[in-house]
Amino acid sequence: MGGKVSCTLGEVKNRADFVLYWGGNPAECHPRHFTKYALMPKGKYLPLGRKSRTMVLVDIRETMSARAADIFLQVRPGKDFEVLTALRAIVKGQRVDAEKVAETGLTVEVLQDLSDRMKAARFGVIFFGMGLSMTRGKHMNSASVLTLAAEMNAFTKFVAMPMRGHGNVAGSDMVLRWTTGYPFGINLCRGYPRFNPGEFSTVDLLVRGDIDAALILGADPGATMPQPGIDHLARIPTIVLDPKVTHTSRLARVHITTAVTGISAPGTAYRMDEVPLPLRPALTSPYPTDEDVVRRIHQALAARSVWTTPSSRTVLATA
Amino acid sequence: MLRIRGGKVYDPANNIDGVVRDICIDGGRIVETVEGGRTIDATGMVIMPGGVDIHTHVAGAALNFARAMTPENQRQATPFLRGPEQRAGIGGPTPTTFATGYLYAGMGYTTVIEAAVPVLSAKHTHEELRDTPIVDKGCCLLMANNEVVLDLLEAGEFERAKDVVAWLICAAKSYGVKAVNPGGVTAWKWGGNASQMSEPVLGYSKVTPNVIVSALAQIVDSLGLPHPLHLHCNNLGVPGNVTTTLETMKALEGNRAHMAHLQFHAYGGSDWHEMRSEAATIAEYFNAHPNLTADAGAVLFGNSVTITADGPWQHLLYQLTGRKWGNLDVENETGCGIVPYTYKGSNVVNAVQWAVGLELLLLIDDPWRIFLTTDHPNGACFWRYPEIIHLLMNADFRRERAKALPAKAQSRIVLPDLNREYTLSEIAIITSAGPARALGLSQKGHLGVGADADIAIYNENPDGVLMFRYPRYVIKEGEIAVEEGQIRSVSAGREFIVQPGYDPTVEDFLRPLFQQHYTMSFDNYPVEMHRLERAEVRDCQGAAT
Repeated sequence: MGGKVSCTLGEVKNRADFVLYWGGNPAECHPRHFTKYALMPKGKYLPLGRKSRTMVLVDIRETMSARAADIFLQVRPGKDFEVLTALRAIVKGQRVDAEKVAETGLTVEVLQDLSDRMKAARFGVIFFGMGLSMTRGKHMNSASVLTLAAEMNAFTKFVAMPMRGHGNVAGSDMVLRWTTGYPFGINLCRGYPRFNPGEFSTVDLLVRGDIDAALILGADPGATMPQPGIDHLARIPTIVLDPKVTHTSRLARVHITTAVTGISAPGTAYRMDEVPLPLRPALTSPYPTDEDVVRRIHQALAARSVWTTPSSRTVLATA
Repeated sequence: MLRIRGGKVYDPANNIDGVVRDICIDGGRIVETVEGGRTIDATGMVIMPGGVDIHTHVAGAALNFARAMTPENQRQATPFLRGPEQRAGIGGPTPTTFATGYLYAGMGYTTVIEAAVPVLSAKHTHEELRDTPIVDKGCCLLMANNEVVLDLLEAGEFERAKDVVAWLICAAKSYGVKAVNPGGVTAWKWGGNASQMSEPVLGYSKVTPNVIVSALAQIVDSLGLPHPLHLHCNNLGVPGNVTTTLETMKALEGNRAHMAHLQFHAYGGSDWHEMRSEAATIAEYFNAHPNLTADAGAVLFGNSVTITADGPWQHLLYQLTGRKWGNLDVENETGCGIVPYTYKGSNVVNAVQWAVGLELLLLIDDPWRIFLTTDHPNGACFWRYPEIIHLLMNADFRRERAKALPAKAQSRIVLPDLNREYTLSEIAIITSAGPARALGLSQKGHLGVGADADIAIYNENPDGVLMFRYPRYVIKEGEIAVEEGQIRSVSAGREFIVQPGYDPTVEDFLRPLFQQHYTMSFDNYPVEMHRLERAEVRDCQGAAT
């Protein structure tokens, strides 16, 4: 297990005649996803648009997205890994225990039908959301769905892609990878990057109270973190750079208002398929850009202290 | 101002072979003489022009994908500690960008060419190149599976295809044109491949890999690009692919071409159990055809990560190894695949691959046409080049190493019979002077007056590994960048680009096509010039071969 078999969204638009959403609700969370990429547009090889595609939705409840689906499969909460494992077995023609499958809320026949449809596709894509990646099983669920897509390539063309959100999270991933070698959960305390999700991820550092200062950019952990983490942010000197007042800015010691990137500040955003897009500001802003503020903080620090040994207490951690 | 006194100079482009003489530097370039300034005493040392890597993968979406996919490699790799002149980073098979600059410079290399860039993510590649310090760089644009170009070739519109290629080069700010598995990656978009050179590509009736290869080579030559078509042939890594490679080289007659990582394309036998070296067959053809250059793509035993635009090959490698598999198809343009791989000396196939890389370097007579690469990180990491240099310079050591290979492998290679030993001058050619000439970079790869002052100074040592891994000094643009493995000064390297001319009405043709088939707006597609640091536009008058 491991890796990721994926593509850019234009490949989905031009070729994917079978679209499977798993644990996501794009109709409400990624409202342009259906119309721009995955369901409605006419593609180079899908001249009829929506009519050329089959859409299956797997989720624990009938969300708004279910209305757009050709087939909706309701899984019992926390049973995604079991469904994926059974489906991978069925795809490979192995026997599965009908009783075990029934515990997931689905039947062997339903999964057999899904497997047949996947194999009959010319180009299949699986989009998976946080309903899969952040529920019981977590990264094992992601690994399982990615492996399913990889294994499907023995039969037909198949890819998988996470439905990412939260502004430019893909961009943050990309920059950290080329500068530190890792996408997130990075610790620079020893003077070089170390990676250990669960130990160095922001949430863990905060909950354990390991951090004595925080600089927060483009995120609102005060709204999403567990309470002990939020309490710790309120205890330590927290600096927030944000155009708006947020839950985090309310508990921060310092809130620097910055220009909105993409509206009044230029930059680059990465799409969920890791394609970079230039952002050109349409308006001007009286506020400085995030980049400007960070640069000035960095300059001020560099002017003040000489370079110290790697035991310096600087911690850079990212969610 | 700087004077390097008393070193033995190896400058093959100027026919200087181990002559003791002074090198003078002023304003980042080599000059006749200088008065005053610092003097470096290089008595007893060897002086060569800074290394030029013609084919490597050090920046871009594919490499960044590989970094995320293999944290286990990063954890084992050499850490780079933050220092007064140095940013923190990590070495290993997929080093961070800053570490890449330090590692290349630390080995005496001062120019690198990133070999595979899709237009769609070229912005990203340039951002990474900008964060790769010290070395000068450039990149090659993936074109052999671009569906706009292929559709035009299908319709017989060669002239328009040429304009489109020129427009794309300008839009992506690239230096050359790369072809990867022509037609095969397009077919991979439907799960297929292109293994026959004269059969139509899946989805086309007239376009075959042969058509793509010869059309692109003609386009590159008629645009006058300084570097010829940079070609990764079909059937990479497949036993028996020697026939494909020969057929491809025949299709290139009359045009220039650079055959990338030739080692992966020189196998005989009909399956994995019978795979054998066909380096001699390839070398024989190659020696007789001066329109071609090549890089070795040599293999060394150990851990690596394979990263290529060749999507279908990576699917096969995933099925063969059962290891992680990354794949990223790029809309209308190309693909990319990543599979971690370990080359083992005990594995017959790997042993043959190890031998083939060295055999090609030894059997191709003209060192000006075959260059040292490992297709980093595919065959081995670039920072292991000194190990290959030592193997090339020492036939007895080579034979001793070959004896340790499995008996089956030994019967399928010719390496133990080869007595050639590279001289220091020939090493300077395959690591610097040759690739600089093939790239059309006239101020690189030599130490004549007017050349960029990119210089590596080594302590002479019969052990090639010790000698070439740790240069005494590395000078970049006249500044001492590295001294005995320590980074002394970090400059931003230049980025070389070309801007071939095209009919401006090609935009009217591209714009509607683009809005239809892409998911990005046409105006957002080209790379803005401000993303490049120290861009230098090179002339398009072809290369003096």
